[in-house]
Amino acid sequence: MDTDLVVRAQHGDKDAFGILATEAASRFFAVARRILRDRDLAQDATQQALLSTWRALPRLSDPARFEAWSYRLLVRACYAEGQKERRWAPNLRLLPMDMPVVDDGLSSIVDRDQLEAGFRRLSIDHRAVVVLHHYLDLPLDRVADIVGIPVGTAHSRLHHAMCALRAALEADLRPSVREAAQ
Amino acid sequence: MSTERDVTRIVRSWLRTDEYDFPVEIVDDVLARLDATPQDRLIWPARRFADMNTYTKLAIAAAAVVVVAFAAFNLVPRTGVGGPGVATPPPTLAPTPSPTAAAFPPAGALTIGRHSMVLEGLTVSFNVSTSGWISNGSFGVDRSPDIGPEGASFIFWTDTPVGVFIDPCAAVRGPSVGVSTAALADAVASVPGTDLVSGPSDVTVGGHPAKLVVISIPDDIGCDPQRFNLWYAPTPGFARYATALGSTYRVWIIDVNGTPVWMDGETFKGAGPEPARQLQKIVDSIQFE
Repeated sequence: MDTDLVVRAQHGDKDAFGILATEAASRFFAVARRILRDRDLAQDATQQALLSTWRALPRLSDPARFEAWSYRLLVRACYAEGQKERRWAPNLRLLPMDMPVVDDGLSSIVDRDQLEAGFRRLSIDHRAVVVLHHYLDLPLDRVADIVGIPVGTAHSRLHHAMCALRAALEADLRPSVREAAQ
Repeated sequence: MSTERDVTRIVRSWLRTDEYDFPVEIVDDVLARLDATPQDRLIWPARRFADMNTYTKLAIAAAAVVVVAFAAFNLVPRTGVGGPGVATPPPTLAPTPSPTAAAFPPAGALTIGRHSMVLEGLTVSFNVSTSGWISNGSFGVDRSPDIGPEGASFIFWTDTPVGVFIDPCAAVRGPSVGVSTAALADAVASVPGTDLVSGPSDVTVGGHPAKLVVISIPDDIGCDPQRFNLWYAPTPGFARYATALGSTYRVWIIDVNGTPVWMDGETFKGAGPEPARQLQKIVDSIQFE
């Protein structure tokens, strides 16, 4: 991260901010899309986070911390957009067959569907911790700093979320087990 | 039983292999709004405030409270307050933008009245006459957040489906059948594993000729209904799948001067006549502009 750009943007340089925003936008969208599981909500969250970043930049005391600080604004925007989420009955999906075929331990479409369903059942608080830690590879102390929670709470949320996702993955096995027992 | 390490590996892999197209317009939209988005400025330089003595800080804080209170007092509408007061300027009306069709009604509860959207590049509006309908903001409206006899939902296809699945459980797509509403309706009527309830029938929607097909999902489809795929759009990967066993789908495919427009409504197992009547009422209100 070029701190000179951050300093220029802090002083109202729109061109400098344009460069920062261009660099940050795709990363923001990737994180928001994974947390919110909805393209439109993720797009809105990304835009809100970028505008919040512009607005609040003069209050950033350490330009070297721009990245972590801006992720905090993104997570807040995701919380706000997540409030708009509603349970939705009609079903339209991106077909798994169009996804890249990778030997990644995701043994089947079933795993993806189960993970998707399990992840959607998590609160935005829990999703944010999972995505920041397992997608961005951030250590939990930095995750806690970004989300604004104690490190112990970050550990607890991650543990709860992973237990829920494991249960979601294993739930698919249960009908087979019942069938075998009959 | 999955080990903890397995689950972690699977979740990490799932998060990393999910790929999404980045909407490039985000940055342009944000940059276009910068002029209207002032940056925060501290009222007093922080350092200078920290250097002041306690009495000065208290005085400034007290002055700030007075200023804020005065401003708030003058901003609060004084409905019902009588007697002489500060003259207020007459209310002015903000300019109202001329109505333009949104791509879809914004997410949230739909007000009673007319709502518009753009399907296949055509502006379409429909009327909501009862409360309880909710838009998901991008493709559907839903009468109940729950799947059940009272529920009903629509998908309005902004991008008209072009074919159906020939092996719904295995997600095997049949070939595209083109843009003929008759051919599309025939394809819907023949989705393997579904029960044809009625149609294809000739109907009229918004003054245009249309085909109506009604199918249902039987109990013996051979896979989870949410893995039972019905029809697909040309947008890569978008497809309708069944919500639940026993669901009934009403599919209207409308020929708008050669452009097929598709909407399908779903009611659930055990539904009485009312949810279907609500769907039909919305279809009957459709207007093309």
